[in-house]
Amino acid sequence: MELHNVLNFPILSLSIFLPTAGALLIWLLIKDEKMVKIATLMTTVATFLMTIPLWAKFDTTTHHMQFEEFHPWIEAFNINYQLGVDGISMPFILLTSLLSMICVVSAFECITKNVKGYMIAFLLLETTLIGVFSALDSMLFYFFWEAMLIPMYIIIGIWGGKNRVYATIKFFLYTLTGSVLMLLAFLAMYFEAGHTFSILELMEYPFNFQWQFWIWLAFFAAFAVKVPMWPVHTWLPDAHTEAPTAGSVILAGVLLKMGAYGFLRFSLPITPDASQYFVPLMVGLSLVAIVYISLVAMMQRDMKRLVAYSSIAHMGFVTLGTFMFTQIALEGALINMISHGFVAAALFLCVGVMYDRMHTRDIGDYGGVANRMPVFAAVMLLFAMANVALPGASSFIGEIMVLIGTFQADPVYLGMPTKWIAIIATLSIVLSACYTLWMYKRVIMGKIANSNVDKLYDMNKREFMLFVPLIILVVWMGLYPMPILDVLHTSCAHLLEQATSTKLDAAAATAVHSSMAH
Amino acid sequence: MTYTLENLVISPLVPEIFIALMAMLILIVDVFMTESNKKWIVPVSIATLGIAAFLSFNTIGDAPVSAFFNYVVHDSFAAFSKALICIAGIFTIVLSQQYMKQESHLGEYYVMMLFAILGMMLMVSANNFLTMYLGMELMALCVYVLVGYQRDMLRSSEAALKYFVLGSLASCMLLYGVTFLYGVSGSLHFTEVAKALGNHETQSSIAVMTGLVFILAGFAFKVSMAPFHMWTPDAYEGAPTPITAFMSVAPKVAGFVLFIRILHDALSPMLHEYVTILSVLAVLSMAVGNLAAIAQRSIKRMLAYSTIGHVGFVLLGLISASEEGYTAVLFYMLVYLFMTMGVFAIILLMRRDGFKGELLDDFAGLIHVHKGYAIAMGLLMFSMAGIPILGGFWAKFYVFMSAVEAGHTQLALIGLLFSAIGAFYYIRVIKYIFFDSEREQFNLLTDRPLQAVVIVCTLFVVISGLIPQTLIQMCESALVGFI
Repeated sequence: MELHNVLNFPILSLSIFLPTAGALLIWLLIKDEKMVKIATLMTTVATFLMTIPLWAKFDTTTHHMQFEEFHPWIEAFNINYQLGVDGISMPFILLTSLLSMICVVSAFECITKNVKGYMIAFLLLETTLIGVFSALDSMLFYFFWEAMLIPMYIIIGIWGGKNRVYATIKFFLYTLTGSVLMLLAFLAMYFEAGHTFSILELMEYPFNFQWQFWIWLAFFAAFAVKVPMWPVHTWLPDAHTEAPTAGSVILAGVLLKMGAYGFLRFSLPITPDASQYFVPLMVGLSLVAIVYISLVAMMQRDMKRLVAYSSIAHMGFVTLGTFMFTQIALEGALINMISHGFVAAALFLCVGVMYDRMHTRDIGDYGGVANRMPVFAAVMLLFAMANVALPGASSFIGEIMVLIGTFQADPVYLGMPTKWIAIIATLSIVLSACYTLWMYKRVIMGKIANSNVDKLYDMNKREFMLFVPLIILVVWMGLYPMPILDVLHTSCAHLLEQATSTKLDAAAATAVHSSMAH
Repeated sequence: MTYTLENLVISPLVPEIFIALMAMLILIVDVFMTESNKKWIVPVSIATLGIAAFLSFNTIGDAPVSAFFNYVVHDSFAAFSKALICIAGIFTIVLSQQYMKQESHLGEYYVMMLFAILGMMLMVSANNFLTMYLGMELMALCVYVLVGYQRDMLRSSEAALKYFVLGSLASCMLLYGVTFLYGVSGSLHFTEVAKALGNHETQSSIAVMTGLVFILAGFAFKVSMAPFHMWTPDAYEGAPTPITAFMSVAPKVAGFVLFIRILHDALSPMLHEYVTILSVLAVLSMAVGNLAAIAQRSIKRMLAYSTIGHVGFVLLGLISASEEGYTAVLFYMLVYLFMTMGVFAIILLMRRDGFKGELLDDFAGLIHVHKGYAIAMGLLMFSMAGIPILGGFWAKFYVFMSAVEAGHTQLALIGLLFSAIGAFYYIRVIKYIFFDSEREQFNLLTDRPLQAVVIVCTLFVVISGLIPQTLIQMCESALVGFI
């Protein structure tokens, strides 16, 4: 097997297992709480540095997988330890390693009990996340995808808020139920496609329409829960609200992207005809997410819940763009995912900063925070505007690309009035402005509401430093998105080609061939 | 075949004969020992089982041989299961140490266990319905006694009586079913029965159908499939905890292996019929096991229902009726053995003042009391729930895979959904351990042998989750010569 690995160095494996190694060392060797924190930070920084060559050495001219690794793992089932990235998965690995650093720093003060346990769980979580985005074998993908549940269950359950047990069990069961259907699809495909779990081979295999139909639905069950799409989104506000700040950041920043990534990596290329068939369903659910969930967000009193619902609404843009079958919408969806990783992460950090001081997330308890925390107010304003998709912010690029792509989409091919979809989606940007800015007004602006707010003090250096990389990235992507678009471009074009070419002719040919063989 | 002494091959049964001799020796010598001198019984029993396991394990890969005028067969399949059963026995003896301290007549306890294991080893080697029945009854009678071993305790006696009555009923049903097959085929040898059933007219006769149904029902009782599972929760709860661990593993291994042998060797012409019946039983077992476990407050009862659920998953492997399926069953049993022994070791470590430590509530806040036990229990529970990186995942994966391969996709779908439902009560245990605070101050036992069992089992579960390849190969090689 020919591997495209320019460095001849297992850089993906190292990125995946560096956090695990760090976790093991911390578990075995380090007792002191302060040392644990430093060691965790060092591990995440090292992991981040390890992932930088993925970006630096990335070949933007090819859609082939890069930095590939291949080792047999379980020969009995032809399951291989096969890794590799293309323009679609590589940005998410960097996003994960970047946000992990920020999460660790943000956890320094807000996690007070059993710091060591938290840091170990968090590092293990990072391993599974990077693993999900670099796996090229569907069982390896599933392995990381499911293993992620263990640290996340523990993190929400131990370090979460009041209602954490309910939230974490709900999170666990929702995700598990969705994923077992995906597992069934992998098993069914394994036998149909000739004993292979390799994602690249499954992409090539001509499944007939009936197969595609069921496989697509099984994938949908797993990915829709993870995205999450209405109506299976209800775990997310609970999980977000109860998780510790750092947990929410990684949930919104990376975990939600796993679902959308699944659609891109599995549904579109493996079942292109079914994907096209289900466009009305996906568009309908996306529009519900964008419009209805935005309205729900507006009515929230808890700031974290509001940001959580806003995440669902933004993911609606992502799923809409994914299923428009135009290059620009596809790239817009990806930009939106990355940008949402920064913006939602930053907003959760903002809520965290206030929560650490006031121990309440209720909007009604706040008012006039700007008077006491001017720097914080400015930072939060920036991210509130980014959440609204104001020009100059990364989310603007993403959403405008999705909308343009939707306008461009072929109404005949999709069987949908795409112009109207685009118009509804465009108008609903107003809704995101409503809930975000209204929250900002009630919390930050106005007179000092009560004595507790009066006692607030502005962010310290550590807190401010958390936001710096996010500010830079949001503004940089908003003003000059070309470097990221370059990375996406070739892979997206290839994905679009896979998604728009039908597998049915080849499937019919195979069927005829096999019947003749009989 | 003439029944002469020259034709009586006994060499394949050396492990069984060894265990039988040692058990009788212990029984006799025990009478002449003072109570304080009886400590040696434990190492001798462990050594006996260890040697038997080693002897059996060594013959994996050898060509099948039959003995005792073809009444018994010894192939890799039997050898592997015998090794598993002996290992389960060793674990049980280690688990019993602490628990049985206050009991007298310890010698009999170990002798009973050795005889039960002997019965199971005979079961997995059976090539004839008579041998099957002998082995099964030897096992069952010993296990009845072991369940009721704490005879001063009402709960224990009640459990034993219930188990005895229902178990005897099951044996009768099984025997009744066998008579029908004997009536049709005129033989008790598995292969002869299969030959007779191969005839089309015989196949459709009511006698054969009745025989099949009764045999399946008898087995359903023995390995506790729903709806024949009624005895399981009571017997599990009432039995001494080490015996509960023993019951949930060893008889299941023996039962399933024997079941596979009968289905494959004797009843293969009835494939379509038995698959239909077993499919219903599998769905019912998965449903009853996984749903009823949610309502339990005692961890022993919860594990009883969990066993029923696991039996349902294992049945998928039997239903597949393929080499893949049978390998999956063996692999499932192997992983299940270690998971269960680890869990029961922790339950035993949780014991304090009599019966405490058996309710789910008693696990609350374990993480604050003993990190090691808490993490081990967490990993074992995640493994039971079938979450990757742990062995339980591959066990489930394998049976589902074999079911899909055999075309039972709907069954696999139902199974997967029930395994997601079942995950709830496993992660609820983790919730008690990690998320709740302790209800009261308590001190835990620090018993070295028990801790060793916990460590061995947890490591096994983690390693089999990360690199299952070797174990799967081992299970595959166990089927060589059988199919």
